[in-house]
Amino acid sequence: MKHLWQAFRLIWSAAPISMWQGAIMAVMVALMGTALLGLSGWFITATATATAAGVTLGFKLFGPRAAVRLLALGRAGARYGERVLTHDATLKALSKLRVSLMRRLSRLSLPEMQRLRGPLALTRITADVDALDGIVLRLALPVIAGVLTHVAVFFMLWMLVAPSMAIAIAVGYVGGGAVVLIRLTKATFGPSRTAERANQAMRRDTIGMMRGRADLFLQGQVQSRLADIQQTESEMRSAMRRLDEVDRRSGLILSVVIALVSGGALALGGQLIATGAVSPAHAAIGFFVAVALGETIMPLRRGIAEIGRIRDAAERVLAHDEQGLGAPRVGGGATGSGLSATGVGFSRNGADAPLLRGVDLEVNAGETVALVGPSGSGKSTLLAILAGTEMAYDGEVRIAGQDLRAFGERELRGLLTLVPQRSALVSGSILANLSLAKESLSRDEAEAVLQAVQLDRVVENMGGLDAELGESGGGLSGGETRRLVLARALLRHPKVLLLDEPTEGLDTQTAKNVLEGIRGWLPEAAIITASHRETEIAMAQRVVTLTPAA
Amino acid sequence: MKKKRPPKSAALARIDAAARPTLKRAARMQTFAGVLWPAQAAAAAWSLKEWVDGTYTWLWFAAAVFVVVGILRAVLMHRSGAILFDTADRVIAEERQALLAREIKRTEQAASSAEIAALVAQKLSVLTPYLTQFQPVMARVRVIPLLLAGLTFYFSWAAGLALLIAGPLVPVFMAIIGIRAQKASEKQMVEIGDMNRLLIDRLSALADIRLLDATERAEADFENRAEGLRARTMAVLRVAFLSSTALELFASVGIATIAIFVGFSLLGEIGWGAWQSGLSFYEGVFILLLAPEYFQPLRDMATAWHDRAGALSVAAELDKLEAMEGDEVPGHGDKVAPLAGRASVATLGALVSRGGKPVTLPDFEMQPGEAIALCGDSGAGKSTCLMALAGLVPVKGGEITVAGAALTEGTADAWRARVALIPQLVHMPDVSLRDFLSPDGTGDIPAALKLARAEGIVAALPEGLATRLGETGAGVSGGEARRLLIARAILRGADVVLADEPTADLDAATGADVVAALRGLADAGASVLVASHDPAVIAAMDRSVFVEGAA
Repeated sequence: MKHLWQAFRLIWSAAPISMWQGAIMAVMVALMGTALLGLSGWFITATATATAAGVTLGFKLFGPRAAVRLLALGRAGARYGERVLTHDATLKALSKLRVSLMRRLSRLSLPEMQRLRGPLALTRITADVDALDGIVLRLALPVIAGVLTHVAVFFMLWMLVAPSMAIAIAVGYVGGGAVVLIRLTKATFGPSRTAERANQAMRRDTIGMMRGRADLFLQGQVQSRLADIQQTESEMRSAMRRLDEVDRRSGLILSVVIALVSGGALALGGQLIATGAVSPAHAAIGFFVAVALGETIMPLRRGIAEIGRIRDAAERVLAHDEQGLGAPRVGGGATGSGLSATGVGFSRNGADAPLLRGVDLEVNAGETVALVGPSGSGKSTLLAILAGTEMAYDGEVRIAGQDLRAFGERELRGLLTLVPQRSALVSGSILANLSLAKESLSRDEAEAVLQAVQLDRVVENMGGLDAELGESGGGLSGGETRRLVLARALLRHPKVLLLDEPTEGLDTQTAKNVLEGIRGWLPEAAIITASHRETEIAMAQRVVTLTPAA
Repeated sequence: MKKKRPPKSAALARIDAAARPTLKRAARMQTFAGVLWPAQAAAAAWSLKEWVDGTYTWLWFAAAVFVVVGILRAVLMHRSGAILFDTADRVIAEERQALLAREIKRTEQAASSAEIAALVAQKLSVLTPYLTQFQPVMARVRVIPLLLAGLTFYFSWAAGLALLIAGPLVPVFMAIIGIRAQKASEKQMVEIGDMNRLLIDRLSALADIRLLDATERAEADFENRAEGLRARTMAVLRVAFLSSTALELFASVGIATIAIFVGFSLLGEIGWGAWQSGLSFYEGVFILLLAPEYFQPLRDMATAWHDRAGALSVAAELDKLEAMEGDEVPGHGDKVAPLAGRASVATLGALVSRGGKPVTLPDFEMQPGEAIALCGDSGAGKSTCLMALAGLVPVKGGEITVAGAALTEGTADAWRARVALIPQLVHMPDVSLRDFLSPDGTGDIPAALKLARAEGIVAALPEGLATRLGETGAGVSGGEARRLLIARAILRGADVVLADEPTADLDAATGADVVAALRGLADAGASVLVASHDPAVIAAMDRSVFVEGAA
């Protein structure tokens, strides 16, 4: 419930004035619809009794006639205004929320980012955010507008018809609506969650099955995998069935409430006329208003059907809300050069044995150091620590003379660049990919850096700097991607360059040329490579061996 | 105006046919519920008449009829809803299973895995509102408005005429606005697609963007895109709201006109419009109460029209996928006993097809214990040849003989039980390394790892055999993944091993490890065929076979 409330506040508060205007218009729509039927009923009944009494033209006939037309037009106008206002406000809020989610993801630590599965995060930003639109449009607004309408109608009926009629209709509808909302809402929570989880599992398993198709045939597991997916599907189907049952039950109860209240108004009206409390024309207002008010409670059905899904989406979207970004810090003491680490240690979350223990390292400007060690000895982790993306380390690291912990994010990125093992390109032109590193990149500089990483010929053959790459840089081979990623890093002109297996996927001669090109581009930089290739190790002035700490 | 109807979608025709029997029953129930409204209206009109007359003989009875019929209608809608849900649930599940069974059997994927998954997990459910809302509305709209207009006519031709004029305006107006809505909606779909692509792209490069200090620019870019999406969505919604507002306006003006007509008739101000006897109060109230329900199915139809559009677009996707021609992988993919006989392979004029083009396999024989290099230019069909020998593509001509039997639909499953294929790009399912190596939990994993020269890889993983491998084998390099596959081949007891470019992208030392592991398998008695153009690999094999290229 907490998350539902949070999500509601978040969306409502993005444009509270539009939301309130919309809510008031929604009340006007309901009131005008109610008045339209009530007035029509009163008019017809009154004319009938007027004839019966022999009075033909005692009425202000033109009053009702104009009023009926005005109400019909006004209702349509208010309806349009309400929808546009509330939808626009909601969409603005959702768009803001998307941007802030994206912003939050970009504040994650580097290892967290690398674990982030693209499609999963996408679901969170698109589908989950979309699901939240119902919280105001189909839940809060109908309830707020409904309650306000019933309050207004209650007083009008009290004055125009009779207190008993006002009470009967208000108790019937508000009570019936509340019972449905409170009793059935909870029943949707479990099935909503199961259905969503099973649906995600089905999607994931289908992708996995299609990608691993050849292997499944060879392992003779095609039929069993299809059966597994069918099992997940039947879980989803039975959860959806339970949701549908709740949905239909709420429709049934609400329809019965409408029949009871309207029928009750018929009986109660007769009672009131018989005792001489009201005229038939006034009693008719009661019945027709009761029929018209049915429209205020039916929308609850859609809200109830969605509430479980909204709640889960809100929970996922708001899950890490507390995790903000610290205040920007600027140490201002990074006036030196090179890098030093003293007694650096690191343990992975929850692990008993430390991954790194007592690592000492010093790299001066213009020097290249190769980190070597078997897989799992912590080379990549050490680079992540040195790059300031893994802050939970022991010991001290100084970059250009300043303690790493004193750096602001931008200050650090201004003088240090890390190229991780798995680096991604983005769709767009080659120039656009390079421009990620440097906003006002000239074509001359772009060509020069491509030459430094032995990529100038390749790019020329592809059609130059404006050649478009596909999704995630599709269209380049593994080795070409690697070199473009290196070129991007060089454009930062860092004082400290950290490279994780920089020449993976390159043949020996190209690897050698690329490493020379990097040094030629950045003669003054302190360079650290995490390496297992002979070529890389041979090019370094110094080799530091990491041994597994455990 | 001549209207060209698009040819009906084959998928939608199939879905409609599968749903028809139960759907018809539910639609009849809903139509019946709609037809009951005049009974409620008559009961209410009678009550009001007694109020005016001051007689209260039937008042309680009429009020009770109003309530009971109202409840009966609610129950009918509730029950028909259950039938409709069952129908949609069953039809969609059938479609889903047929789709998966068909797509898994294709030798060449007809759509990306993500597209198929989106269809299975998301898009097919768009058919639910089409079946549960749109179809019954279409049944109601054919009966209820006509019946209510007829009843109104019976009492007053003028009121009946008003309904008949206002009614058809609803769909006409909808059609006019609908065209604009369609265009706006298409633009919006493009925008959504663009935003999702941009998002996936940027999210997978998030770490790099951060390290390059480009976060703010990427965010501004995204913000623009999100704002563009909002603007487009609002454009679509404005048109949609305008059309539904117009509908509601027609309905309320229609009701208001009848109210005014009835009132003035009762006053005697209007002497025309009814038949000879004139309009009584009871009749006036009755036709006034019919008016809103006359418009209701038309308004429901306007709402459900979007469901139809959604179903049509999904059906078009299904049609497109079904229309894709291609070969099927032979056999069922079941776990069966391995084919008996020696692990020999022989080809004679064997022809398969790849990408719609025929590929001829070289004629050669392979005996147990032999290690053969399969050579040829890039694109000559080395990978296709391996796929064919693994029984993953159907033989179109000539013959492939495996373990002394022809490789056919009938023998493919049993043959594949003996074969291990080591592809260039290794797909790691999302399971633990232990389950990956030995799905049935048998076999000596450490021994197999040792034979495959892979024991060091597992030792270096933080969680050893319990490590969960990602989609692309995160945590192990390409060469390591290939050695793990070799270990798995050993554990399975596969005695036919086919490897595709096993040393691509590897440095010399790692490549040598992989080749040594493969060589070891042949020395232990397996038949090993390695597609490669790496001289080191070719030298390590017993002999070479050349793929000539396209037929």
